[in-house]
Amino acid sequence: MSMHHVEKITGVGDPQCFEGEAGKPRFKEGDRVRIKDRPDIFYTRCQMFTRGAIGEVAVVTHESVPPEDEAWENEQAPAEWFYIVRFRMQDLWGDYPSTYPNDTLQTEFSERWLEPA
Amino acid sequence: MAASIRQEIQQHIEQVGYLQPAVHQPVHAPFPDEISHDFYRALLRSDHDVGGQPDVPIPWQEKEEEQWELNTYVTCEVLAWRGVWNAEERRRRMNADLGQTQYLGHPYYGRWLISAARVMVDKQHATLNELIDKIDEVKARYESGA
Repeated sequence: MSMHHVEKITGVGDPQCFEGEAGKPRFKEGDRVRIKDRPDIFYTRCQMFTRGAIGEVAVVTHESVPPEDEAWENEQAPAEWFYIVRFRMQDLWGDYPSTYPNDTLQTEFSERWLEPA
Repeated sequence: MAASIRQEIQQHIEQVGYLQPAVHQPVHAPFPDEISHDFYRALLRSDHDVGGQPDVPIPWQEKEEEQWELNTYVTCEVLAWRGVWNAEERRRRMNADLGQTQYLGHPYYGRWLISAARVMVDKQHATLNELIDKIDEVKARYESGA
């Protein structure tokens, strides 16, 4: 982490320090989104079990540098919006018992992993 | 007597867990045309702690942090305050860079600790020989009981 970034977050917090940097969010609460199946190499925070699945934006959370940049100290990379997406468990796991049709799972993505569904 | 039966049963259940089917295929520096696209994707898959991988069931156990674990956590946070790494780089190093054998083999805070040592060497805050000498010195002191 660069000392420049340490100074930027001190007294402000991370990700609060990125507020106002990502422009307008592409998605809003309630939008249906599909998780992109982008190539896997070296690092991501995008869970494999969500790839290609369709969920609903539960919360537009915050702006920050995407994990794939942040993980190599590239805190100067453009910030983007992050979203909490809600999935039906049945849509994620093929063998999920139908006894619990209302079960959901929520997890977080940066904007580049989402497309409109 | 009942207690020892319970113990035997526990061991039995644990042992049955080891019988989970697994496919192990010996591979060593294969020719490029022996690598299918599917296998290549599997090879590039990095380990991470965000869940979803298939595994055998493991028992839920409450465990309080030990002193070395707390020390490790604080050391890693201090490295962040001093600009050595951010949380995402730490996760990348301790989850993805270690490789599957070490990822699954170390205790949780063991992964933090080995990654902290590695980042210090990678970024030249300590040389590898300084680290080796220090481990050697501490080991000798520990073994002598001093």
